Amino acid sequence: MQFEENIRVALRGLIDHKFRSFLTMLGIIFGVASVIAMLSIGEGAKREAIAKYQDLGVSNIIVRDKDLTVQELEEVRSKFSQGLSLNDANAIKNIVPGVEAVVPQAEKSVEVKFADKASKSTLIGITPEFIEVLNYETGYGKFIDQMQYDRGLKVCVLGAGISKTLFQSREPVGQMVKVEDQWLEVVGVMKSKALFTETVGELASRDLNNDIYIPLSTFHKRFEPENELASELKQLTVKIENSEKLMLAASVVEEIIKRHHYNNPDYSIVIPYELLKQEEKERRIYNILLGAIAAISLVVGGIGIMNIMLATVMERTREIGIRRAIGARKSDIMSQFVTEAVAISITGGIIGVILGVGLSLGITLFTDVTTFIRLYSVFIAFGFSVVVGISFGYLPAKSAANLKPIESIRYE
Amino acid sequence: MGEIEVTALKGVNLQIRKNEYVAIMGPSGSGKSTLMNILGCLDTPTSGEYLFNNVDVSSLNDDELSAMRNREIGFVFQTFNLLPRMSSLHNVELPLMYAGVNKQERKDRAVNALERVGLADRMHHKPSELSGGQRQRVAVARALVTNPGILLADEPTGALDSKTGDEIMALFDELHNEGNTIIVITHEKEIAEYAQRTIFLKDGNIFSDEPNSIRNK
Ligand SMILES: Nc1ncnc2c1ncn2[C@@H]1O[C@H](COP(=O)(O)OP(=O)(O)O)[C@@H](O)[C@H]1O
Ligand SMILES: [Mg+2]
Repeated sequence: MQFEENIRVALRGLIDHKFRSFLTMLGIIFGVASVIAMLSIGEGAKREAIAKYQDLGVSNIIVRDKDLTVQELEEVRSKFSQGLSLNDANAIKNIVPGVEAVVPQAEKSVEVKFADKASKSTLIGITPEFIEVLNYETGYGKFIDQMQYDRGLKVCVLGAGISKTLFQSREPVGQMVKVEDQWLEVVGVMKSKALFTETVGELASRDLNNDIYIPLSTFHKRFEPENELASELKQLTVKIENSEKLMLAASVVEEIIKRHHYNNPDYSIVIPYELLKQEEKERRIYNILLGAIAAISLVVGGIGIMNIMLATVMERTREIGIRRAIGARKSDIMSQFVTEAVAISITGGIIGVILGVGLSLGITLFTDVTTFIRLYSVFIAFGFSVVVGISFGYLPAKSAANLKPIESIRYE
Repeated sequence: MGEIEVTALKGVNLQIRKNEYVAIMGPSGSGKSTLMNILGCLDTPTSGEYLFNNVDVSSLNDDELSAMRNREIGFVFQTFNLLPRMSSLHNVELPLMYAGVNKQERKDRAVNALERVGLADRMHHKPSELSGGQRQRVAVARALVTNPGILLADEPTGALDSKTGDEIMALFDELHNEGNTIIVITHEKEIAEYAQRTIFLKDGNIFSDEPNSIRNK
């Protein structure tokens, strides 16, 4: 009997017994749906992590001046450390191999005013490379340029949040805001950034949309340090040309800083790429667990197929007997039942894929868990369901084929 | 479950020629169906020999037996044994499907067979939409469609009233006249009288085996 014929007979059997077929499929449907949903949760978490570290720059090394108490500050200064400084920045730029850019950054907590509005903010002094090295973008206006930096102009770029607070729907570019006793002209507004809600390495979480950026030259010329012991810089962002040299560069950076700071632990080094790798490793275990649970549910689905099909063979003994009496070979009966099992799992697989896709969209929509469906996960789930169908359809098919024709036709 | 060996047939020795029309009679439990199942290659005897067209059936494997049933034998059962969810046409096509006949030819031949039993106008009906007599005629069409050597009927009129039973028997007569070999099992004398020869079984033995006087005039 031809293959096409088998399919027709099997599909007929399924359509003739819709409810039974549906029950048989349920296990596969849920199995496939859960595989897709779980893989999409894993993938969503991965993408979220990558996005988070990409914000910090996967080819960056971040050196951060530690937040110290006055007492601790006094101690490290007495042990000769000047804290993070432009000296460090220059040394890194000159010594570390493969450095593309070093962006120094100074910070100060300030109050900013516009008209009758006032808000707390962080004033950040940077060089023009900042925007590129840290993958930031301006929403409108322009970022601080080289000329403004060289001349130490009193210009600023607002974070999206602080801009909203001060200006609401008014046009901020061209307006003057007052920070401490200085008037700064707004030249641009940053694009909104995702809330930095988690602590990454030793970078404390905070809302980046509330920052105000000014040229580092202006920062040092116009604003007093927080206290006389404060470090010159709060952060150095070192961009490496070639990510393969990242780890080597990081060890050189560490060596330089350590020496400049006379072994005082007043800084921390964060390598986003390494944190990303580390997190990926941790997540792998979690993903394997998710996958295993999903695979188990598929196998349970397969056992469901087997159970119902075994029961079906009993119920269809007479049909099998009739087919055998009019000339069906064992192999014809066998392939009829295997094809039915495959058809059930393919149909169940398709419904499961639809349900799984719906499920992960629902999860994204109604919870704060990010999901992302990759095509390969659909194929895996679907392919696996077909394999399960064939494997668990085999036993019932065999028992159907091995029924004795004479006994099955007598069967009541 | 303990198994008790039942000897359904013993000492049966008979020969049936081509184009013979034989009735097998006997009381219930006398072994008629067992004999027919052996003749129809559905069952094999635990001992003894069955030659079909000079082939020893007990030497055939399962696939060869299936092929034999498919090509050489047409079954008609008391309870019709049609597949309930298929149309008449589909039921009749089924043996041809297992014979590997292509779709178009299968359909043509099935329609033909249904025409022969006078049911061409009911080919798209399912068994449940047909009367008992019509169902049995579909079963006959299914038995005929592969042009088998023998037609085996186990109490074909057992589930029918006498009028439709006579219609089926008239159909058998016709098929016999067209050259078919027919073996009918029955416990009704009137049905047996259609045949040329009656074999009477009793307790698994041949009690009598005689030509039918009425037919062989
Ligand atoms: N599968 C079976 N298992 C046990 N006994 C059987 C089986 N088939 C038939 N028999 C026995 O064999 C004898 C002949 O049965 P059967 O050929 O069906 O008789 P008939 O068709 O003449 O009524 C009966 O005694 C019956 O009980
Ligand atoms: Mg019987």
